[in-house]
Amino acid sequence: MAKISELLANLEMDELMESVQLDLDNGRDPVEILKECEAGMVKVGEMFSAGDYFVSDLMMSGEMFKEVGIMLEPHLSGKTGDVLGKVVLGTVEGDIHDIGKDLVYVMLKSGGFDVIDVGVDAKPEVFVDALKESGAPILALSCLLTTAYDSISNTVKAVEEAGFRDKVKIIIGGGPTDESVVRYTGADAVGDDAQSAVRLCKEML
Amino acid sequence: MMKTNPIYDERLKKVQACINHENEHVVGCYMGQAVPPTYSDISLAKYMSDTEVGLKYYIEFVNRINTIAPVDCINFAYPGAHQAALSLIWWSKVKMPGEELGENDIWQVDEKKLIQDGDYELIIKEGSAAVMNRILPQIIDMKKIEQFFEYHAKDEMIAQQYIDAGYPVLNSGLICPPFETLCGGRSMTAFFMDCYKKPDLIKEAQNVMLEEQLKMIATRPDRDYVIGEWIGGWRGASGLVSPKIWDNLVWPYMYKLALALIERGITPILHLDQNWDRDLERFLELPENKCIINTDGMTDLRKARKVLGNHVAFMGDVPSQMLTVSTPDEVKDYIRRLLDDIGVKGVILAAGCDAPTGSKFENLVAIHEVAQEY
Repeated sequence: MAKISELLANLEMDELMESVQLDLDNGRDPVEILKECEAGMVKVGEMFSAGDYFVSDLMMSGEMFKEVGIMLEPHLSGKTGDVLGKVVLGTVEGDIHDIGKDLVYVMLKSGGFDVIDVGVDAKPEVFVDALKESGAPILALSCLLTTAYDSISNTVKAVEEAGFRDKVKIIIGGGPTDESVVRYTGADAVGDDAQSAVRLCKEML
Repeated sequence: MMKTNPIYDERLKKVQACINHENEHVVGCYMGQAVPPTYSDISLAKYMSDTEVGLKYYIEFVNRINTIAPVDCINFAYPGAHQAALSLIWWSKVKMPGEELGENDIWQVDEKKLIQDGDYELIIKEGSAAVMNRILPQIIDMKKIEQFFEYHAKDEMIAQQYIDAGYPVLNSGLICPPFETLCGGRSMTAFFMDCYKKPDLIKEAQNVMLEEQLKMIATRPDRDYVIGEWIGGWRGASGLVSPKIWDNLVWPYMYKLALALIERGITPILHLDQNWDRDLERFLELPENKCIINTDGMTDLRKARKVLGNHVAFMGDVPSQMLTVSTPDEVKDYIRRLLDDIGVKGVILAAGCDAPTGSKFENLVAIHEVAQEY
């Protein structure tokens, strides 16, 4: 594994930043650095799935990935590497929780997805508009409240009414979601955690 | 001295036998602080803000379930002055129904980074009040803090109402481990990052906060109606934090707070949201037959029984989503399978965490109906 990937996978923040800065100073292609970071995030995801890493480790790696992104941005000038696909993401209407959503955002981004984040307490039409504008084939809905189940259902209905339900896969996630909530809301699948959201999105492309 | 009655006495005996693992049957416990307005002619906003009326509705709602199947006890009582309670322990703004939210919308914590750089040092130097007193006016109208203390000055009178209705209330207070308070005030992502970057500083701040709490527990007056108190654990769950963080910043504090309560004759009720499977063995460090772990369906109670045997009592763990979307038969099936696997010793059946406002009434009843079977 490349040094940058390894530093990220080992959650060594200071050493990672130093290494990235050194590579940039030496004129290395920033897209290559980004790809090594993505490989590090893949390793973090694997360790999470294996039970060796926990949510705090995902968060730490996500923050490291974001920090590197900020360092690389002025050097990328529009180059971002390969994009797997687009995902519209948000927390549904009536629910203001953003921590889970933000974690999924980072994991999807580092997993190669272009993510359109519509924020929290998002009405069904906000999701529909984002899907229309982006053409994303995946909609990821987050909630932490059981009272938000109806908002998920309403969002699924709004996608149907907009006429592109058959073109969009809908995944849900958040503390109180499981298969029974998938059935209740008419969504397609549930992700147990941020890493499984990435896996599901890859499967659905 | 509280005035009890035969029904209350009998139920209390049943609860105590359960905690001691001397029970022959499970205990059916009501947990659903925000549910009563869903099935009553009162808005959630009114129920929360008018504590006298809210308490009445709460007890009436529990009575309705009790007429169908016996409610042996209550986990958490009516959430009077709840916004202030949450603000005091979690240092985050709590949006309330009828205020920032709709009349019947459940309260939500709007977590922001209120603990600033330098605040851990301030806690170490001057104590937690130095930071809390700066944060509180940012997140709540201070009149509500005054009302909170006025409300709790009547605790004994309120406790008598539950006793008169025949219900032992298991939880009579909130003890929030320093990890949870700091996490709420700093916001989860920023706090978790701090745990990686400056664990020693956090530990030092937490040690100061712990000492304050231990002193408070040791010196407060005895209250003869108190059975147990809640020790919260949600962001410190094993499924959320790495072992290094958990071993250093979570468990030692929960453990010491639990011991302090036991020292005062109070049962610690460790409210364990999320998944604690990885660290179940550590609960063997607690004194035997003195504690309850209150899980929400994410911790594997079958594994817990294997690891812990009859060391601590279990409270839970019907998942909130099941109470909302499943049928009563599905709820009963879930509970029967659980009880057939783990047995009844030391088991207090209840909604996991807290029954959500959208819980089906018949699903709440189902918990108590199955309790009668076992």
